[in-house]
Amino acid sequence: MEVKVLFFGVLAEVAGTALKHYSDVNLMSDLKHRISDDFPEIVHYNFRIALNSQIIEGEQELKAGDEIAYLPPFAGG
Amino acid sequence: MDINYLIEGPVTSGIIASYLEKMSADRNAGGHSFFLGQVRADAKDGKTVLAIEYSAYESMVKAVADKIIETVLSEFEDLKSVIIIHSTGIVKAGEVSLAVMVSAGHRHQAITACAKTVELIKERLPVWKKEIFDDNSHIWRDNQ
Repeated sequence: MEVKVLFFGVLAEVAGTALKHYSDVNLMSDLKHRISDDFPEIVHYNFRIALNSQIIEGEQELKAGDEIAYLPPFAGG
Repeated sequence: MDINYLIEGPVTSGIIASYLEKMSADRNAGGHSFFLGQVRADAKDGKTVLAIEYSAYESMVKAVADKIIETVLSEFEDLKSVIIIHSTGIVKAGEVSLAVMVSAGHRHQAITACAKTVELIKERLPVWKKEIFDDNSHIWRDNQ
């Protein structure tokens, strides 16, 4: 089972990529740990997380094909 | 009205004029209020902003902008239409990167609803901006 992670704004610069796939991950907390391991700098930034375009907080179960997005503070306008 | 929220590059005067024509076609509208956000040539530390590069989470922009319009339409009963257009990609200083265009039966709700829509966009629309300076350096800006 695979999920897709998108990085936006400054976080894409920090991660060095706008997109990364993760396999064998069932919980949001596990995914966050793996992302922090891959990109240790990311924990120094403010961000929220969206699951399939909805901002979420706390634990979530993940399923194959889910789209997770790391969103820095918005800057529209 | 068929609305595409994001466009590549600046919101041109031609785009704005074409929406005004469509909005004016509603003969029950008595006022249109427009907010046009423009890229400012801010000076910082001896450098000047040449342009902003905007990026967006497109699928979420659609969902959020739909919800903003629904919220505003439900709050102001005199509204006829609410249009949101935001740039992606490069927008130079002096060019428009955001257009909010609101039609209503009367001026008061048009003006108030336009202002509210702009505030909701600033707060909720998943868009990011990178200011590009005249020495090729850049910084990421946010609305906080």
